[in-house]
Amino acid sequence: MTFSLLIEQIINGLIIGSMYALIGSGLALVYGTMRVLNLAHGEFYMLGGYFVFFLAVTYGVPSYLAIPVAIVATFILGMLIQRLTIHYLMGKEGWQFSTIAATLGLSIFLQNAALLMFGEQFESVPYYLNGVIEIGSIRLPLQRLLIFVVAIVTIGAMTFILKKTRLGWAIRATAQDRDAAAVVGIPAERIYLITFGLAGALGAIAAAMLAPIYAINPWSGLPILLKGFVVVILGGLGSFPGAIAGGLLLGVVEAIGVQLTSSEWRDVIGFAMMIGVIWWRPWGLFGKKPT
Amino acid sequence: MADTPILTIEGLNVLYGDYQVLWDVSMQVGQGEVVAVLGPNGSGKSTVLKAIMGLAPAKSGKVMFEGRDITRVPTHEMVSLGISMVLERRRLFSAMTVRENVLLGAYHHSVSKDARRQLEWVESLFPILAERRDQVAGKMSGGEQQMVAIARSLMSKPRLLLMDEPYLGLAPRIVKQIGEIITRINQDGIAVIFNEQNVQLSFGLSNHGYLLEGGRVVLSGTGDEMIHSDVIRRVYLGV
Repeated sequence: MTFSLLIEQIINGLIIGSMYALIGSGLALVYGTMRVLNLAHGEFYMLGGYFVFFLAVTYGVPSYLAIPVAIVATFILGMLIQRLTIHYLMGKEGWQFSTIAATLGLSIFLQNAALLMFGEQFESVPYYLNGVIEIGSIRLPLQRLLIFVVAIVTIGAMTFILKKTRLGWAIRATAQDRDAAAVVGIPAERIYLITFGLAGALGAIAAAMLAPIYAINPWSGLPILLKGFVVVILGGLGSFPGAIAGGLLLGVVEAIGVQLTSSEWRDVIGFAMMIGVIWWRPWGLFGKKPT
Repeated sequence: MADTPILTIEGLNVLYGDYQVLWDVSMQVGQGEVVAVLGPNGSGKSTVLKAIMGLAPAKSGKVMFEGRDITRVPTHEMVSLGISMVLERRRLFSAMTVRENVLLGAYHHSVSKDARRQLEWVESLFPILAERRDQVAGKMSGGEQQMVAIARSLMSKPRLLLMDEPYLGLAPRIVKQIGEIITRINQDGIAVIFNEQNVQLSFGLSNHGYLLEGGRVVLSGTGDEMIHSDVIRRVYLGV
């Protein structure tokens, strides 16, 4: 592998990894705040993708409008789904298991609802940007650059929300100690609702950016969910910054690994890395060792 | 209103699952009073405070705050009424800074507008808060954490403060300091109800006490009355 090919693969890895980071951070946000493993997270991605497709392709809404609308729609859908399902299980006996079962059921339900409503054909969305920039010997399509920029802006915005806003403080406080948060006046139930909405929005942003590259169909959430798992395990379950780092790392390792082997090995590389981490550092590469 | 007790508990029964922790408990806290809830381990004294705050479910009975029934008020609305709590073992937001922890005490919109002024007051009570404002709370010593926890609870301008085992696991020097703080905030007009195993320690502070045994109130009275009571000796020493 030549040096410039290596650089190119690292850049490609960071770009796709930035999307893995968005997927993983949604899972991490929900798990970190609610201790709920959301097996329906991939369906936020799938539905977000369909929202973009219908708006941008079927109704011809310009993409700079279609994407924000799809994100907001998925945010609302995320809250609605939480309110109608998880809400009734939280804090009840056996909720840690019942929420996993419920989100698994939800995942199957949403996949089949999508199949029924939208059919099984693969849909795709045209590129938002055409053209290529060249830096030295490296050619970078603008579409891919856009993906990376959107990811950085999203991660920056989420970090700002979590660190600097009233809502962010409330989310972090609830994540650390639900009762102590309630005592200072933070209603956990409302925080859980918003957390699910935010996870949905993160999934929709990734879907919007990847829709022109990967086709959308009722099952397109599943491989995404699996990537998300690898990411949160690399980063430390429930850690937002860990998910960002884990996503980027997975992207780069996959890209270089595929270059050295072949593309069928992509998932093998990712899962091998995940198994290695579970073995060697079960609290994640960037998580803290539990005491 | 001066004679209405700030807090009245009437016939409170609390169950965790099938297990009854409190049996028909009644208590009162007068305006500006400091009340101690005493009892050995597992006597239910923590549960009394949790039940007031809505953190433990009351099966029957009533909790009244300033004459108003608050038995079914959710925990997160208590600060807006004027009730605050220091939880057992501090329960700080351990990954957040001292300043963030303290400011979260004024999170509720009913009290957040006065956060600046309250912050000045609690920092005058605990100068360490200003010195250590950017330190991560979980990295502090137990005594320092307890100060942050008390400061956080005072940010909402409470009229009644519940303190669950405020001395637990603290060095004697810190215990004395915390005791002085409790006296000081009481002088500022805040009624306090706290629980503690150590009878001597408790009556240095309180006007009035209740002794719990097996989830029932078996004795109440002033410090002197209780310290010299045979019941205390029986409950604590088994004689």
